[in-house]
Amino acid sequence: MIITLARKSLRAHLGRSIFIGLSILAGVAFVAGSFILADSLRGTFNDLIDGLTGDTDLQVRSSLEIDALDAVRDPLPRELVDEVAAVPGVALAEGSYGRYAQMLDPDGDPVVTQGAPTLGVSWSPDSGLSGVNLKEGRAPQSVEEVAIDKATADRVGFEVGDPIDVILSDGQQRFTIVGLVGLGESDGFVGATTVVWDPVSAAALLDDDNTVDTVDMKVEPGADIEAVRAAVADVLPARTEVVTGQELGDELKDQVGEIVSIFGTGLLIFALITAFVAAFVINNVYGITISQRLRELALLRAIGASAPQVRRLVLMEALIVSVIATTLGIFGGFGVAQALIGVFNASGGGFPEAPMVFKPMTAVVSAIVGIGVTVFSVLLPAWRASRIPPVAAMRPESGFQALGKRQHLLRGAVLTVLGVGIFIFGILVRPGSGPQWGAITGVGALMTIFGVTSLSGTFARPVARAIGAPLQAVLGTAGKFARDNAGRSPRRTARTASALMIGVAMITAATVFTASLRDTFTRILEEGTAFDYIVLDDQSFQPLTPEVAARLDALPELSAVSPFRNIRAVVGDDNATFTAVDPVDFPQLANLDVTEGGFGDLEGTGGVMIFRDAAEDRSLGVGDALDVTWQNGVASSLEVVGLFDDNSLGASWFVSIETLESVSTQNPTDQFVVAKRADGVEPATAKAAMDAALTDFPQATIQTNSEFIDVQEGQINTLLTLVTALLTVAILFSFVGIAITLALSVFERTREIGLLRAIGMSRRKLRRSVRAEAVIVALFGVVVGIAVGMVFGITLSYAVPNTVIDGITFPWFNLIAVVVVAVVAAVIAALYPAFKASRMNVLEAIATE
Amino acid sequence: MSSTAPVPPPPSALVAAAGAIDARKMYGIGDAAVHALDGVTVSFEPGRFTAIMGPSGSGKSTLLHCLAGLDSLTEGAVFIGETYLAQLNDKQLTELRRKQVGFVFQAYNLIPTLTAEENITLPMMLGGEDGDRSWIDRVVETVGLKSRLKHRPSELSGGQQQRVAVARALASRPTIIFADEPTGNLDSGSGGEVLRFMRNAVDEFGQTIVMVTHDPYAAAYADRVVFLADGKIVYDMSGPTADSIIDRMKQIGH
Ligand SMILES: Nc1ncnc2c1ncn2[C@@H]1O[C@H](COP(=O)(O)OP(=O)(O)O)[C@@H](O)[C@H]1O
Ligand SMILES: [Mg+2]
Repeated sequence: MIITLARKSLRAHLGRSIFIGLSILAGVAFVAGSFILADSLRGTFNDLIDGLTGDTDLQVRSSLEIDALDAVRDPLPRELVDEVAAVPGVALAEGSYGRYAQMLDPDGDPVVTQGAPTLGVSWSPDSGLSGVNLKEGRAPQSVEEVAIDKATADRVGFEVGDPIDVILSDGQQRFTIVGLVGLGESDGFVGATTVVWDPVSAAALLDDDNTVDTVDMKVEPGADIEAVRAAVADVLPARTEVVTGQELGDELKDQVGEIVSIFGTGLLIFALITAFVAAFVINNVYGITISQRLRELALLRAIGASAPQVRRLVLMEALIVSVIATTLGIFGGFGVAQALIGVFNASGGGFPEAPMVFKPMTAVVSAIVGIGVTVFSVLLPAWRASRIPPVAAMRPESGFQALGKRQHLLRGAVLTVLGVGIFIFGILVRPGSGPQWGAITGVGALMTIFGVTSLSGTFARPVARAIGAPLQAVLGTAGKFARDNAGRSPRRTARTASALMIGVAMITAATVFTASLRDTFTRILEEGTAFDYIVLDDQSFQPLTPEVAARLDALPELSAVSPFRNIRAVVGDDNATFTAVDPVDFPQLANLDVTEGGFGDLEGTGGVMIFRDAAEDRSLGVGDALDVTWQNGVASSLEVVGLFDDNSLGASWFVSIETLESVSTQNPTDQFVVAKRADGVEPATAKAAMDAALTDFPQATIQTNSEFIDVQEGQINTLLTLVTALLTVAILFSFVGIAITLALSVFERTREIGLLRAIGMSRRKLRRSVRAEAVIVALFGVVVGIAVGMVFGITLSYAVPNTVIDGITFPWFNLIAVVVVAVVAAVIAALYPAFKASRMNVLEAIATE
Repeated sequence: MSSTAPVPPPPSALVAAAGAIDARKMYGIGDAAVHALDGVTVSFEPGRFTAIMGPSGSGKSTLLHCLAGLDSLTEGAVFIGETYLAQLNDKQLTELRRKQVGFVFQAYNLIPTLTAEENITLPMMLGGEDGDRSWIDRVVETVGLKSRLKHRPSELSGGQQQRVAVARALASRPTIIFADEPTGNLDSGSGGEVLRFMRNAVDEFGQTIVMVTHDPYAAAYADRVVFLADGKIVYDMSGPTADSIIDRMKQIGH
C-alpha cells in the first residue's frame, strides 16, 4: 500500500520528481563517468602495453634506484648488444632507442603534444620485438627514410611520400615519410609524437656516443626463460638488470595505472562535489514538500496510518526516484566518459579509441552515491513527516508547530563551533602531517558548513531584508513584496539557499587560497630571478637538448647563461630532485637569498647548495658531508658549500653540471635555459642574436623575465578560472532547488496572490516580484557562502608556510563573476514559478482555502 | 489520567459507543489561556445519530478531536467502546483510529493522488487487511457512486467527495463515526445527499455517528442535538426538528 501511495504521489508531482531525479542523475553520471573513464583508459593502456611487450622475452636495461615517474635510466654501452646475443639460449638481441625527435609541420612549426614525449625510436619489422605496427606504406630502410605515427599524420596532414623536418638533439634534418605506424591496434602512441627509423639509421641519428637505451631479446624456441635470464645476468656489468617481458609489462601497467588514478581522482572529487550539492538540493526539496504535504500526511495519520508508515512513505518515494535516477545516471556515465575522452582528444590528448569498461565497482559506488545520498538526505524530512500529528489534518497550524520544534539555533551553534575548532585543529596543529589530518580538516569544514546552514535561518530575515532594500528601491511594490516574502519564513529562505551557500563557500575558499598563492608566488619569483631571458619548450613541455644552452653560451651579447638540468636522487629516505647549473654564471641569473657560501663554490665536482629548510630538516651546515644515491645507483658523498633561503624556482638542491655529468651517463636534457644580457647591449640586439642562434630549434621559445612571470601567473589564473568554473557548474544544481521551492511558495500563496491580482496588481508586477524573490534568496546564499568561504580560505592561507603564501589576496573578479552567474541563474530559476503565479485564475485563487 | 476527575466507572459498549467525562481542554497559559472545553460530560448511545451545535469557538471541534483520539485532553477522560484513550500509546491509538473510528472532515478528506475506490479502502490497506469485500460493495452501492469509483477526487463534485469520505468512514465498520461540519462547504442540494447517506447508514447498518454542524436543517437529520457554549454543554435535545433547533439557538443567543 505504501508503495502504491508513493508511486502515485510521484506520478502526481511528476515535474518535481523529474527535477530531483535529474540532480541525482547528474551526480551519479559524473561519478560513474569518472570510474568508467579511468577503468577504460587503464584497460586500453594495458592492452597496448601487452602489444608493446608481448613479443619481448627479456630486456636488459640500467637499473634505477628511485621509484619515480620522472627518473631516467642511463643508457647502455652498445657492445652489450653483441655480448648478450652471444649468451646461449638467446635467439635475437636488438638494441633499441626511445629518444628525442621533434617533428616540424610543413610550416616549420613544432608539432606540439600536451606534455607527452616527442619520441624517436628504432624499429625492425622482422624481429617483431616492439609493438609497432605498420598501418600504411612500408617500413623505413635508409637514413633518409622515416615512418611516423598515423595519429599525428592524420592530425597534422602528413601523407606517405611527404618530406618531413625533424629536430634531433644536435639540429634539424629532412626525411621522407615512407610509412605510417601505430602501437598495436591503435593509430597513435598514447599522445606521443613518434618518428621511426630502421635500427641502423636510428643508431646513426639518435646516438653519438655508442649507446643504446635497452636491449630487447627473444629466446630460442623451447628455452626456459628463467634459465636464459640467469645466464644473461651473469654477463651484465654493474648497475644493469635483466627483466622478463612480463615484468616489464606489469611495471608499465603500474605506472600508467598511477597516472590514470591521479587523473581519475581529480574527476571523482569534482563528481562528489556535484553529488554533495545534489544531496543538499534533495534534502531541501523534501524538507519543503513535507510542509506542503502536511495536510495530506496528517490525513493519512488521522485515518489510521502509523508514524512508521508515514516515514516509510517519504523514504519510499525518495528510493523510487533515486533508483531510477541512479540507473539512468550510470548509463549517463558512459556518455560522460565518452565526452571527456572527446574533449581531451580534441585538445591533442591522443587517447586511443577506448572500449568502455564497466566494472561492478562502478555500479556499487554509483549506487552508494545515488541511492545512499538520496535516502540519507530524506532521513530527516521523513522523520519530521512522521511527527506530524493527525489533528493537523484539520488544524494545519498545529502541524507547522510540530515541524518547527527542532532546536536549530542550538544545534547550529554547536556544530559551527565544533566544526571551526576541528578545522583549525586539523589545519594548524597537524600533529605529524598526513592524509588523516587532511580528512579531519575536511570534516571540520563540513561540520562548519552544516552548522552555519542551520544557523542561517536565524539571521536570514534581517540579511534578506537588507539585500532586498535596493531591489525595493528599484522595483517599488514588486520589490517590496519580494523582500517581505523572502523575510517572511526565514528558515525556508535559509534552507533554499543552503546548497548554493555551500557551493559558493567552496569556490571562495579555493579561489582565495589560489589567488593568495599566485600573488606570493609571482612576487617571490620577481625577487628571485635576475635573468633577462628564459628559453623553454612552452608547447610540448619537453626538455631541451643541451645544444640550446651551448649555442647561447657562445653569444657575446649574453654575459651569463645556465641550463637547469635535473636528476633524481635519494637523500636519506627521501627522493629529491637535484638541479645542475653553471656555477660561474648562476649568481648573475638568480637572487636566491644565499645566506652562507655561494653558488660559485659549486665549481668543479662534489659541492652542493641546499635550501635552508631542507638543510635544517637534516641538521646540515656548510662543510658537512651529504650522502646521496643517484637515480642510477651511483653513490656520492657531496660537501655542503652553501645555504639559501628562496626555493621559488622549484629547486632545493643545486649541484654543478660537472658533478651531474660525473655521476650519470643519461642523455643530458635541460628543463630550461636562463640567460643575462651583457652590459651595454640593446635588448633588440640580444633578442635578434638569440633568435638567430636558435633557428634550428623552433620548439625553443625565448621569453623575457617579465613575459615568463606573466605566463606563470597566467597558468595559476587559468587554474583559478577552471576551479571557479567547475564548481560553478556544480552549484548550478542548487538553482533547481530554488526553482522548486519558489514554485511551492507560489502555490502556497495562491489565495494571497489571487487577492493581490483582484485588487489590481498586474501580471507583470507579479512576475517581477517572484523573480526578485529568487534573486534575494540566491544573493543570501552567495553572501553567506562568500563569508564562510573567506574564513576557510584565509585560515588555509595562514596555515601554509610563509614561503608559499605570505599575504591574502581576494579574487574579486572571480567572486563578482559568481554573483553575476547567481543572479542570472536565479532569474532563470524563477521563470516557471513567475509564470505560474501570473497565470493564476483570480476567482479560483480566492476561492481556495 | 487527571487526578481531579472522579474515578470513572468502566465504560460499557452497551450504554455508550463513546463519551467524555468532565473533559477539559486548555490552550495557552496565564492571561492568554482559553478553555476550549470546560468540563464536558457526555455519552453517545450506539446506533444513534447525534449532532453537536454551538456558536463558533464554543469548542465543538475540540470535543470531536479529543473524542476521536486526534488530540489529548488537559483534564478528564474520553473513551471509545470499552477503552479509555489516555491509556493508549501512539501505536494503539493509530490502530484504534484505523479500526474503531471513522472520520469525515469539512474538506481535504481524500488523498488527491488516489482514486475514490482506493480512498475508501485505504484505512484497511494501511492495516494490511483486505476488508470485508461484500460489505464494502454494499457501502459503495448505498453511496451511489459506482460509476465514479475509478475517478480521482479532483474529478468529483464536492458532494461526491464528501460521500466518498463517509463511505471510507463506514468501510471498516467502526464503533463510531465523527463528522466535523461535513456539509459546511456544500450547497444545500449536495449537502442533503450526504446527510441522507449518513442517516441511512444509521438506520440501515446501525452505525453510530456524531456530527458537528452549524446548520439547523442538517442537525434535524439527527436523533439528538447537544448544544455547546463556551466549552460547556448547555442543552441536550432529543428528536429535534429544524424549528425546535432554531428556537433553542435563539435562546442560547446565537
Ligand atoms: N491550536 C489552538 N491553539 C489555541 N487556541 C485554540 C486552538 N484550537 C482551538 N483553539 C481555541 O479553542 C476554542 C475552541 O475552538 P474550536 O473547538 O475550534 O471551536 P468550534 O469548532 O466550536 O468553532 C476557540 O476559542 C479557539 O480559538
Ligand atoms: Mg470547528
